[in-house]
Amino acid sequence: MNSVLKRPAVFALFLLPAVLFYVVFMIYPIGEAIYDGFTKWNGVSEKNFIGLDNYIRLFQDSLFWDSLLRNFWFIVFAIVIQLPIIVFVALLISKVGRRFQSFYRTAVFTPVILSTAIVGILFLFIYAPDVGLLNNFLKAVGLDSWTHYWMSDPNVNFLMILIANAWQWDGFYIIIVLAAILNIPKELDESAEMDGANIFQRTAYITLPLIRPILIVVLLLSVAGSMKALDAVLVMTNGGPFHSTEVMATYMIKVGFQQFEYGYGSAIAVMIFLFTLIVSMLVQLLNRKDVEY
Amino acid sequence: MEQKRGRNLFFHFILIFYVIICLGPLVWLAMSSFKTPLEITLSPWGFPDSFHFENYINAWQEASISTFFFNSLFIALATCVISLLVGAAAAFALARMKFQKASLGMYQFFLLGLVVPGGALLIPLYSVITSLGLYNTRVALVLLYVTFSLPVTIFILVAFMRSIPRELEEAGVMDGIGPFGLFVKIILPMTAPALSTVFILNFINSWNEFVMALLFTADKAMRTLPVGMNALKTAYQTDYALLSAGVMYSIVPVIIIFLILQKQVIAGITAGSVKG
Repeated sequence: MNSVLKRPAVFALFLLPAVLFYVVFMIYPIGEAIYDGFTKWNGVSEKNFIGLDNYIRLFQDSLFWDSLLRNFWFIVFAIVIQLPIIVFVALLISKVGRRFQSFYRTAVFTPVILSTAIVGILFLFIYAPDVGLLNNFLKAVGLDSWTHYWMSDPNVNFLMILIANAWQWDGFYIIIVLAAILNIPKELDESAEMDGANIFQRTAYITLPLIRPILIVVLLLSVAGSMKALDAVLVMTNGGPFHSTEVMATYMIKVGFQQFEYGYGSAIAVMIFLFTLIVSMLVQLLNRKDVEY
Repeated sequence: MEQKRGRNLFFHFILIFYVIICLGPLVWLAMSSFKTPLEITLSPWGFPDSFHFENYINAWQEASISTFFFNSLFIALATCVISLLVGAAAAFALARMKFQKASLGMYQFFLLGLVVPGGALLIPLYSVITSLGLYNTRVALVLLYVTFSLPVTIFILVAFMRSIPRELEEAGVMDGIGPFGLFVKIILPMTAPALSTVFILNFINSWNEFVMALLFTADKAMRTLPVGMNALKTAYQTDYALLSAGVMYSIVPVIIIFLILQKQVIAGITAGSVKG
């Protein structure tokens, strides 16, 4: 009777379009990036196989190391600054009445749905030296000396990009953490309250331990997110001035699309893959160790 | 009780402060878009003296936002339709057809796409696009956006289709409906809620995408809104009024979609991630 759903040809036909898209625009490019990483090629000439030369060059390229370090800063910033804010705000939202919850949910999620490039432009206005919101605010509260040329000062520009990125994405993580908190059975919290545990104790000993798995997910996502930050950097500073805000992906674009060194650019692309992979594995490993206690 | 109310008031106080941080910049942007450039400089905080809609008209006509807007709209809609068809067909095979081992393997294969950082593939994608003769076309962007929307599309649709009861399908089979009929007449209509979530998610993602649109188009006529705005920000460097209006064209449509369909938007955007 079910033979209709057992025909291999039909099965293959339904999957074929999706597989084609994957092969042409994902699998093949991954293979080509790996292969090209071992070649010297400007996009026009013959591909010259040069073995590990691109990778040896990478290890000596201080611009690459600096940009890798900045990708790393994205993650450190997420863990040290963003995560506590995210958990704190999610906890607060979980404690207020249901009616208010949906309002706060909508409000904090709004920046998430905007284009990262457009958010970059918005923050260029906010950071604009003369008319921008930030400098005007500082002047209004009497902190004139704190005003800056935010985007051209190499001491602060990268931090300001991190802040713009956090402004956009924190709502996303807040919603995820909030969902995890609301998933905890109410009885746990209530019985602890009956036993006389105050709100800080209940948070520290019940809520936080129970949402730990989701915090690991948030960390993983922030690693992937540090790759998404490419758009914001491209729009706000394009990696400059003098490479002071370069991340791996913007450096790869410069090498590939401006200096036409496709081989070397592909080697950087492979490093982006590895970086993402290694950091995600590290986070999972840390998680596993925790469970043993 | 008293204590609890005081505590809640305190929570609201902090949360409102946070909401102001989230929405304040957008409100400020909206107000700036109705001011004259001089007004933006002289009274950056206040409400506009009068509403200068000419910023919107100038941005739309002079700064060719209209071109960018319709490019973005066309690309986003085409992406949604194609990825929905392709993704739903694949999900149907994986969730409803009886090839357990093959289905599981293919499902894992498609999910791998969730972890591929698209940004790392820009160089080889550029050579694929040029060798297909698609450089500087809207079609190129549609094909790429479809590809990178498929992992989450398949993920959401498979999960949903698995939950549909078998009986309906079996009745259909008894009536002599073939596999295509089952897909189009029975499964697709029942998947409508998930399809709409995926549609909205893919629309927002394609509407917002920047780096591929930047690298794979060359003409002004092919630019999407984010790429067009990025160029305008240099061309109209000091005209913050016009630039603000331009940015509004990009963000107002997605904000409207979000306000109407909040649940689907939030479910869609967070779906691919919580899988872990």
